[in-house]
Amino acid sequence: MTTMATPTQSAPETGAPVYNPKSESVGAKRAKSTVFHLAALVLTGIVLYPGLWMIASAFKPNSEIGGGNTSLWSENFSLDNFVTALDGIGGVSTMQFFTNSLILALGAVVGTILSASVSAYAFARIKFPGRSVFFGMMIATLLLPFHVVIIPQYIIFQQLGLVDTYIPLLIGKFLAADAFFVFLMVQFMRGLPAELDEAARIDGAGHVRIFGSIMLPLMKPALISTSIFSFIWSWNDFLGPLLYLNTPEKYPLPLALRLFQDQTQSSDYGAMIAMSVLALLPVLIFFLIFQRYIVEGVSTQGLKG
Amino acid sequence: MINRRHFLTTVAVGTASAGVLAACGTGSSTSGQTGSADNPVTINYTWWGNDDRAERTRKAIALFESKNPDIKVNGNFTDFAGYWQKRATEAAGGGLPDVMQWDLSYLRDYGQRNQLLDLGTVKINTDAFEKSLLPSGQIKGKTYGIPTSTNAFAVYYDPAKLASLGIAEPDGSWTYKEFNTFLTEVGSKSNGALFGGTDYTGVWWMFNVWLRQNNIEAFTSEGKLGFSKDDLKKWWNLTADLRGTPAIVSEERVTQLAPKSPFGSNVTATEVTWDNFMAGYLGDSGAKELKLVPVPSDDADNLGLFLKPSMLMVASAKTKFKDAAARFIDFMVNDPEVGQIFKTSRGVPASKTQRDGTTFEGTDKVVVDYETSISQYLKDAPEPPIVGFGTLETSFKRIASDLNYGKLDINGATDAWFKEAEDLIKQNA
Repeated sequence: MTTMATPTQSAPETGAPVYNPKSESVGAKRAKSTVFHLAALVLTGIVLYPGLWMIASAFKPNSEIGGGNTSLWSENFSLDNFVTALDGIGGVSTMQFFTNSLILALGAVVGTILSASVSAYAFARIKFPGRSVFFGMMIATLLLPFHVVIIPQYIIFQQLGLVDTYIPLLIGKFLAADAFFVFLMVQFMRGLPAELDEAARIDGAGHVRIFGSIMLPLMKPALISTSIFSFIWSWNDFLGPLLYLNTPEKYPLPLALRLFQDQTQSSDYGAMIAMSVLALLPVLIFFLIFQRYIVEGVSTQGLKG
Repeated sequence: MINRRHFLTTVAVGTASAGVLAACGTGSSTSGQTGSADNPVTINYTWWGNDDRAERTRKAIALFESKNPDIKVNGNFTDFAGYWQKRATEAAGGGLPDVMQWDLSYLRDYGQRNQLLDLGTVKINTDAFEKSLLPSGQIKGKTYGIPTSTNAFAVYYDPAKLASLGIAEPDGSWTYKEFNTFLTEVGSKSNGALFGGTDYTGVWWMFNVWLRQNNIEAFTSEGKLGFSKDDLKKWWNLTADLRGTPAIVSEERVTQLAPKSPFGSNVTATEVTWDNFMAGYLGDSGAKELKLVPVPSDDADNLGLFLKPSMLMVASAKTKFKDAAARFIDFMVNDPEVGQIFKTSRGVPASKTQRDGTTFEGTDKVVVDYETSISQYLKDAPEPPIVGFGTLETSFKRIASDLNYGKLDINGATDAWFKEAEDLIKQNA
């Protein structure tokens, strides 16, 4: 109220329509800012609506989800869906699914961090014959769709008797098979000044020492980004576990979620959505904890030592 | 600079794995290995389904193991869509489970590729089965699948909704004209609150029933189309006057309601589909009671109805335990106690021994009574559908919905479907 009053009051007092650039620009600024925030709020609302729908639906009875029911909130509020969801499926407890997902996701993070950083160091800092050829080949695997390698890969693991274990899902992570992360770290390392490791070398450090004491601490932002993405990708992966795991006791959450739906019998959408809400929590927490490091990563990269 | 927005969704997996293939697999005799009570053999059994089916199957397996101490059954399950992705990969990798629950539309595909065991070579008792049902598990004289249970086509209606509109419940002896009149009456009396039904001409199996009513076969024994473009035009013309009226729910609405059906969402009063969807509709709609009546027919003596296996049991061609697999399949399809465990959740038990040994109550009884009531009209079950049938069924639905959207007229829709169907049949020939 005061903001709008200031320019109109000051004008008659001076007796003449004196142009007041300062107050007008403040008014314009505020108007602009209001419009901007309103627009941002509307956009946020649109973007967040599916999430809101999911959370609201988790508290609705099954027959009121989807279909002709357009209202967001139900009068038959209940926690029944969560009770069903936590009951587990076919004798396997929901905690078991969570644990499995967690093992896979943390395994993926640890494996990727260990293997990708070492490989990236080799590509970025060690000159060896055929380096650019190998680097090119690694990048080329990015262009290879997962669906092309499914069957040959399945045959290998099947012949080795590793189907229905977590090995097929994790071994690639420990062998730096995720070219995207290796590439990400190589690019990051190339941005670090070579003078740092030259100085270390003069002081008598070998590759292990340079990698461990100089590179790794500087690479923190890249490591964090890698952790976040490999965690989320593994947490959400459906096809890999579907193909390689047979025993329901070993299923991670994405497989378990599908078990609430059945085309040939009844589908419990309520329990599925309740479980989706629960499944979302760890990812959300993981992201919230580490997201500030992403921003930090970008700004450190700008400084470059 | 790394652009973090360019997340590559494809996770490339390196070929780092050593190409050392373990030469495993001990030489097994042709009749398969057998176990003893002290040293039981383990067979893998896999099925699709929800929590409820997992619970029932677990009970059935426990019962089987207590009766057959020389066999252990390792049960696994996934959802329906994932189930087929997994089977396709396993089939390519040579690792199909010993015994599997199966769907009719995938039988020919896997059977022709020699992925499934010829069950005629092992001991499974089929004496208690309707002779008209068994051919649907056979391809070129070889038995690849044994039906666990059957389903039949029916018209569902919600008696409470009809009562509130003051419309008499149908008795199921109706012509297409009478059925259309009924749909229109529901639509007009409810003032748009309720539609008569979904456009039944978009349902492939209903078309199949209509063809049978007119003594036309859907597919010839050579796997070609058995009907003409004129037949299909006649079929799609049946509801030409109803499209866009309150008799039929609009296609926009159907899309908005997905994944639920309009009937399950309480938007229509009737639905034409398989009788074993009862539990799903009851759960989705929250209705107290749903009833089943036969489909319309212009020939009162020929309803074109048939029993279809709602599910089959098959074994992998590469199983090392043929005898054990056969005994488990025999148990699952014939044992009366298994019938008691599953009731109608797999469909109505196909084997008479199993059906007679099961007591049906409530909803289960509605479905079983319906199948009994139409038994005099039943004809031979269809053979396993042609390879790629799933695609044909989907395109039938899609083109019929384009018809409802008004994107295509009946001539255009017929030409479009025939072109797709003929291309597909040529491809898979």
